Amino acid sequence: MFKKIAVGISLLFLIGAAHASPLNYNLKAENVAENTWVFQGKLEDFSNLNGGNIVNTGFVVTEEGVVVIDTGPSLRYGKAMRKAIESVTDKPIKVVFNTHHHPDHFLGNQAFSDVDIQALPETGKQIAMHGNAFAENMYRLVGDWMRSTEVYLPSRPIESDHLKLGSHSFKLMSYTGHSGSDLVILDEKTGVLFAADMIFFQRALTTPHTPGLHVWLDEIAKMRDIEFSLLIPGHGPLVEDARAFDQMSAYLAWLDKVMTESAKEGLSMTEVMRLPVKPEFKDIALKRREFIRSVVHLYPKYEEKYF
Amino acid sequence: MKLKYAAALLAASVSLGAQASQSDPLESPLWDYMRQLFIGDAPYVFDDKVSVDVPEFAEDPTQVPITVNAAALSGNIQKIVTWADLNPIQHIFTYYPHPDIVPRVSLRIKVQQGSAVRAAVLTKDGVWHIGGSYLDAAGGGCTTASVGNANPYWESHLGETKSRFFPREEGGRYKFKIVHPMDTGLVDAIPEFYIEQVVVKSESGQDLAKMELSQPVSENPVITFDVRNKQSKYSVWMRDNGGNEFETAL
Repeated sequence: MFKKIAVGISLLFLIGAAHASPLNYNLKAENVAENTWVFQGKLEDFSNLNGGNIVNTGFVVTEEGVVVIDTGPSLRYGKAMRKAIESVTDKPIKVVFNTHHHPDHFLGNQAFSDVDIQALPETGKQIAMHGNAFAENMYRLVGDWMRSTEVYLPSRPIESDHLKLGSHSFKLMSYTGHSGSDLVILDEKTGVLFAADMIFFQRALTTPHTPGLHVWLDEIAKMRDIEFSLLIPGHGPLVEDARAFDQMSAYLAWLDKVMTESAKEGLSMTEVMRLPVKPEFKDIALKRREFIRSVVHLYPKYEEKYF
Repeated sequence: MKLKYAAALLAASVSLGAQASQSDPLESPLWDYMRQLFIGDAPYVFDDKVSVDVPEFAEDPTQVPITVNAAALSGNIQKIVTWADLNPIQHIFTYYPHPDIVPRVSLRIKVQQGSAVRAAVLTKDGVWHIGGSYLDAAGGGCTTASVGNANPYWESHLGETKSRFFPREEGGRYKFKIVHPMDTGLVDAIPEFYIEQVVVKSESGQDLAKMELSQPVSENPVITFDVRNKQSKYSVWMRDNGGNEFETAL
């Protein structure tokens, strides 16, 4: 009898211990090209199950040190990233880039506070202005994964459009279509293009800070001229050809058309939200949810044109 | 007395085919209190003929689109009262329809947290028909300063109105927008300042449909409604709680 109770109690402790075990992103660095590793996030929205790991981050190991591209959604993610980098190389981290000011791309910065963190000048300003609100929202969305995460600003703005490190030469390109300030990095040695959130693939794009769908479309048309061997989108699977550009252009053009036509017909916002997403996009993750979000972000401007 | 209500309720549910139920389908903790506040002890039914269309989640808690549709009860309506159970100011608007105007209206609202959003339609037989939807929200919509508050633009453009008519096969649609901060009074040191009355008038100046708005209607309101006759001309008259009157031909 007592034995049974004792076993029961210890079982309870075991269950309790399992629940209390620290949250773990289980980040696995995937070697996708010479000296190049990527951490692929899930095709999901932020949740307390995924801890905000919905983003692709990466790093390149050069002879003179490591270049890190984005730091993920939390301090815990940044630390896990750093540990994974150290398991691949003992070279020091030379520079960290934040591609833009959205929370899943810079809230891991604290884990790299001893390193040079660079971002486009406008991105630094945007993080300073909106970072805390983003962080607060992330605590609400993913909970304890965020523990101890605070906004840690980039240490300085990017001053050059090139970075030479060892045998690698990185072209640093500045766009605006997704967030108003978007860094895209091409490793000219390997042809790997870190497109960040200028490109989403198989995961619906997000529009809260786009300066306009046409701006984004025009910039994607320009990006098509970049010669690359492998494109790493900010969200979604890696791709070696122009399919991600095609999908982005088609989706953005459709979004623009739906909202223009709806505004012309005088539809209310709730009516626009209920419109069907074009069957062509049926395999894109989160298309319905992101469409609804985009209507809130963008429809008032379209309505304005037809008053 | 109670028996009378029950009889009225039964009659209403039989004659209108409505679903008679006392328990709140949205299971809101404040249903009973809200019911007391807005409809008192009057008989009521939860009725699918009254719809409140909101997105499942509020992407921007200061601008949540909502469409209230009671067109299925057209011709039989005294007034429509809408509210959000868990807002600090629950009442959104009360609408008094007119035969020329379809009892369906779209606008945007502020929400403070996830909440049931309701429309209660009082029909001429004295029964309230309740419709509603649940809206998920991060919150803060009512205690965030209006955008206009950080930007003096509105001071010189207060009351500026834009409108447009969209013809439909039958009748047509009006959409209008007015520049107004619609301050809730819940933000530190910013007093409430919002449009209280909206009246759609006929060409001869006769009052047709009327709306009484409350603070949760979003800044720079955009209001959409449908009319049955596309030949008629209308104007809109509005007054805010500061006594400013605005009138514009649609």
